[in-house]
Amino acid sequence: MTTTHVARAVTTTRGPLLYARSRALPLTVAALAGTAAFAVWAAGRLDAYLDPDRRVPIVALAPLLASAVIGASLYSASDELDRTAVRPWWPRRLAQLAALTALAALLLTPAVLGHPETFGPPAVLRNTLGCTGLTATAAVLLGARLSWLPAFGYVTAVYLGSTTAHGRAATVWAWPTQPGAQPGAWAAALTAFVVGATLYAVRGARPEGSRG
Amino acid sequence: MALVTEPKAPARGRVPHPLRAEWVRGFAPWSGVAVLLTLGIPVSAKADQWQGGWAETADLVHTGMLITLPLAVAAGCWQGGRERRRGTGDLWATTVRPPLTRLLVAALPVAVWVAVGYLLVAAGALLATWPYTQGDRPHLVLLPGDTAAMAAGALAGHVAGRVAPTRLMAPLLAVAGYVGLGLMTADGSETGRALSPTTSSLNGGLPVWWQPWAMAAWTGGLAVAAALAYAARRRVTALLPLAAALSAGALLAQTGDGLWHTDPLGRRQVCDTSVTPAVCVNARYAGMLPQVSDALSGVTGKLRGVRNLPVRWAGHDGEPRADEAALPGITLGWSVVRGRLADPQQFAWEAVAALEGYDCPDSARTTRVMWADDAVESYLAPNSLQKSGKVPGDGPAEERKLLAARARLAGMDEHERREWLSAYFAARAACDAKGVPAL
Repeated sequence: MTTTHVARAVTTTRGPLLYARSRALPLTVAALAGTAAFAVWAAGRLDAYLDPDRRVPIVALAPLLASAVIGASLYSASDELDRTAVRPWWPRRLAQLAALTALAALLLTPAVLGHPETFGPPAVLRNTLGCTGLTATAAVLLGARLSWLPAFGYVTAVYLGSTTAHGRAATVWAWPTQPGAQPGAWAAALTAFVVGATLYAVRGARPEGSRG
Repeated sequence: MALVTEPKAPARGRVPHPLRAEWVRGFAPWSGVAVLLTLGIPVSAKADQWQGGWAETADLVHTGMLITLPLAVAAGCWQGGRERRRGTGDLWATTVRPPLTRLLVAALPVAVWVAVGYLLVAAGALLATWPYTQGDRPHLVLLPGDTAAMAAGALAGHVAGRVAPTRLMAPLLAVAGYVGLGLMTADGSETGRALSPTTSSLNGGLPVWWQPWAMAAWTGGLAVAAALAYAARRRVTALLPLAAALSAGALLAQTGDGLWHTDPLGRRQVCDTSVTPAVCVNARYAGMLPQVSDALSGVTGKLRGVRNLPVRWAGHDGEPRADEAALPGITLGWSVVRGRLADPQQFAWEAVAALEGYDCPDSARTTRVMWADDAVESYLAPNSLQKSGKVPGDGPAEERKLLAARARLAGMDEHERREWLSAYFAARAACDAKGVPAL
């Protein structure tokens, strides 16, 4: 009796690359690029050279869509297996969230060049941070797959309700529609991001398994 | 001795229907809550601007479809991906029910709950506006079309969720729906506006009676056609609702801006003719007449016996006629908040300013005329600046002259002032700068 051993070439894949694949990061980056392209196209149609206020829809909604994309990438298909790992997860989670947020802000900036005092790159950066913070918090509390819902509800409700809101309190709660130089809006968005990033780094997305 | 107990009879409760859980548990009720909060919060944040006006309330709730409709589509889409996420698609496929029934069992609860969430906000807003209304009647005509569009959005989203196997589909539909509806409603063509479920009249008009039903057929027909095309045993049946939707859509698109007509009530006004000029407010705010008359009583009292005044302060929609002056706008959230005049003093000042020939050419507004205007306003109904003795003059010399003019008008005796004011209003009505008497 003869036993035939077939030698197979085994390629080892590095940990970070496996991590990136397990979180569907290539697809996420492609979706972020698509979001940025859509934002640039939509900004071109707005004719906002004279009136930067016309950019409010882009400034409010493009970061929202980008944060939904980032939120979807926080899903782990094997959270029970993940919990058995001996290495700490928080550096990977934090790096993933921070890198995707930075990438989203970078990609969305070309859509709103100029007018930094009103609705330009600083406002998009702030909204990307704030929306991602909300989405990350929702991923921890609700699960990554439905993490887009609270941020969508909040930002669209603010967009509809804040047109006539004035005063110091409005600069905080209506941060997605404030001009870029508003300190209250920055404080709110940064707080949302810090809370969301910390929660996600420490806890990870809520385990969902095959629940509905 | 053994203790013998009778075995208890099995509890004879009503066995819940197998599908009850689909309606009261899981994602469906939460989708209704999401709609309730997403629309309810901005609506209550803007309460000053609609509470007390039936038309304003209806308009805001209808405009809210801009966010609730994409949310309904996204919620439906999320529910549509449920079997894939749970991995229960194969299990469902083994049941004896046809695919359409299986689809509707999962899709209808979300469709109904999002519609209920929307209706609850609408009902809450109508109840909150009721105690402060000053006339008019509830505007409910758009509600059937809006409710049907919400349910249709959830059903169409459900089909999209079944078809597209990606987690990103729901948020993508939500944001794309929001942007798309915004573009169609705000910047779209006449056809786009007519077909958008979120469109309202540009100038506060009412829809024709059949518009909400045609809109319901348009949105509902498309959603039902999508559901039938995806899941019906005979897919050709999808052509029937599709035909209905296209017919309704064609009707809406052909009619265009003709879908909206002016509210006949807005052209009417109620008047207090016991004073001169008579005070008229729009019939939509008929209950405001006593307050407005009260706010203007100081002015009308001081104008007793003065000639050459407009016949009335008119509150009807559109431009005032030749013998009328425009009553300051009754704008909820600004001049009126919850059925009360926000600032009667400012209202009276604006009413006096309206008597001063606001539509005269700039050549009729010389410095002398503006000084006379300032003196008349300060005498009849000073605003807070004029009351505190502040003057808009350019430099101390001009300020002294303005103050002197005010003092001269206030210091005239009754007869002299009546004659001066009569001559002043005659000149202002004719836009005759030189005819304005000196002070």
